[in-house]
Amino acid sequence: MSASDEEIHELVRQEAGDCLQRMEANLLTLESGDGGVGEIEAILRDAHSVKGSSAMIGWGEAANLASSIEDRMEAAREQGGLPPDSVGPLLHAVDALGQALDGEPKRETVAKSPPPDAPTIRVPAAKVDRMLDVVGETVLYHRRLEHALGTVSGGGASEELDMGEQLLDELQDSVIQMRTLPLSTITAAFPRAVRDLASQEGKEVELAIDGAETQLDRVILDGISEAIVHLLRNAVAHGIEEAGEREAAGKPAAGRVELRAGRRGRMVAIQVADDGRGVSPELLERADEEGSLVEILAETGFSTAERVTDVAGRGVGLDAVKRHVEGLGGGLELRSEAGRGTEVTLLLPITLALMKVLLFERGGHPFGLPMASVGRVVAVAGTTSLGNRPSLELDGEVVPLSDLGRLIEAAGEPLPRNPPAIVIESLGRRAAVACDELLGEEEVVIKSLGAILAGMPGYLGAAILGDGRIALVLDPSFLLSKAATAATTMDRPAETEEHAAGRVLVVDDQFAARELQRSILEAAGYRVDVARDGREALRRVGEIVELDLVLTDVQMPEMDGFELLEAIRADEEHGSLPVVIVTSLGDEASRKRGAEAGADAYVVKEEFDQQTLLETIERLAGR
Amino acid sequence: MSGVQVRVRVGREHYALPVTRVLEVAELGDLTPVPGSPPEIVGVHNLRGRVIPVLALATLLDLSDEEPERIVVVELDERCAGLAVDAVVDVGELPEASERVDSPYLTAAALADGLLVGMLDVDAILSSVSPEAPA
Repeated sequence: MSASDEEIHELVRQEAGDCLQRMEANLLTLESGDGGVGEIEAILRDAHSVKGSSAMIGWGEAANLASSIEDRMEAAREQGGLPPDSVGPLLHAVDALGQALDGEPKRETVAKSPPPDAPTIRVPAAKVDRMLDVVGETVLYHRRLEHALGTVSGGGASEELDMGEQLLDELQDSVIQMRTLPLSTITAAFPRAVRDLASQEGKEVELAIDGAETQLDRVILDGISEAIVHLLRNAVAHGIEEAGEREAAGKPAAGRVELRAGRRGRMVAIQVADDGRGVSPELLERADEEGSLVEILAETGFSTAERVTDVAGRGVGLDAVKRHVEGLGGGLELRSEAGRGTEVTLLLPITLALMKVLLFERGGHPFGLPMASVGRVVAVAGTTSLGNRPSLELDGEVVPLSDLGRLIEAAGEPLPRNPPAIVIESLGRRAAVACDELLGEEEVVIKSLGAILAGMPGYLGAAILGDGRIALVLDPSFLLSKAATAATTMDRPAETEEHAAGRVLVVDDQFAARELQRSILEAAGYRVDVARDGREALRRVGEIVELDLVLTDVQMPEMDGFELLEAIRADEEHGSLPVVIVTSLGDEASRKRGAEAGADAYVVKEEFDQQTLLETIERLAGR
Repeated sequence: MSGVQVRVRVGREHYALPVTRVLEVAELGDLTPVPGSPPEIVGVHNLRGRVIPVLALATLLDLSDEEPERIVVVELDERCAGLAVDAVVDVGELPEASERVDSPYLTAAALADGLLVGMLDVDAILSSVSPEAPA
């Protein structure tokens, strides 16, 4: 067994890359004055090792460059130190060495810089992705097997099947984890970038990095480095003041920029914070009035620095960062205090492999949209038209309405009467797209459409559903811009007559279920309020005047539907409010509990039928 | 240029490609169309968890009367696709491909059992298809 030349080259390049990162870090430490002989010797060792491995495979240029760095460091060791002004030229030499090593095309690999003591294997990323495909498919087959066996046998087999499912889940989790890498794989270049930029700006800035061990999907890491560098540039160029201004404000002359990373629930938060001038009080005031500071800065490409530099303005490029992060299913937050500093937070999913999507159908085929981009779902009943284009009125705002089929130029039947429409929101832009039917909310594995279709606009990828069908996952920003420019986006949907119906509170912790019920009821003319659990619902019951009916799910966090029902019945003022229970619990005991607690009607989700539900509600809420 | 060839039928015509280029043959099954993709891409197929585009040989070769039921999976570097064919006829050696053809997707043609069999240029097919640039 022998490794190919290419494999050996790749190995040398990766090892040398680790050496270069350490050399750079040590040079920066020496420049700051904190370093000493220890750093000099470490650089010497790394230069020596790069020289050796480069020479061995005949890369003369790299070997010569490494050798010159080695010579310089040997001299420094004899002198017992390195003059600070010679750090600059040495950093350039390290750069040149990096370029010489990069002379050949690289292959993408997982695990670029392992912790020094743990044994590691390097695996091409495509192999891990293939593994994930197969594991995902095995899970589907297992479910089908479970279903098929469930109808013929019970007992012993089901335990074995449960165990199999647990093991498969574990397997899928570990494969997904193989796709993650620590943030430190991209942070190595940041101290240098900040140093170069600060000196270019004539400022003194120190960068502190915390939480570099935080794990993220490698695909996210690949794309996020540029965004972080952009935020660091913004902080140095526009956040941190000149030394004089800082001292006058009673701050230390050197500015401080912090890069922090850590888990926040199911997301990873990466923060870039500076102790600079912050945004102006006027802008903060405007943000208070108009909603969010990040939207204002991103939308207008606002710059807080009065002079124009060759570096990005505070807000310039922030829209690009925001779009990028949202495209990954994440979000952007920004806090600023005048005179005290600014903190930008990138919220990112830990893995791109798994994404929460809203699934729906158009023209007989399933599609998905990232939940992060879905504002709400409405039923299209009355439409207004603006400049001859159909639109919806939502919270007093006119939102363009399009047929999804028309937007992506898919062949398809006309839309049904009162179709559901998904309201997509991003960067203050909104558009509603109508489809045939909502399928629900699901966490899916996002797959590439393959190399041939990869460059195609409009899609983030595809997901394989439980029945083996492929759902195309749509790119929300593509739909938003299409909706804004397309000429005819929809045939006028059939309108229903309005009838004065009552006001209903829909309680469900599942977004899709809640919005589905809302859309059905709104289409029938009801005014609808929503709550996510029993506790919120109970509060809303007290607040809403003229509430006619409560439609509630049973299984919810905080306070479940039965508890909510009991609390309403125990309330003096609202004790007689009609309550309809909509649940997947169809068993006798649950029905009995519902009846005992005083439910007016009990609807089982599996038997869910729009017409019956509406009739029940009309009977109970009729005025 | 000989070797073992996979012979396929599209409409009333026969074509062949080297067996060494065929990853597998699968049922066409239900395809998911990808709106906005080039016309020769009829949809995407779920190949045991991997999503691959399916190319209509009939569209590429300007044929009619096709009733595709199978896909022949081929690959060039990272570019993997299924070629939609009506049926796989035979796997075996073919007479020397001596007839000249005038198609960018064929290298030559061979006369076998009184039929003209077009030799598919798999690389040309896979590199010719790409999504149109954004409008």
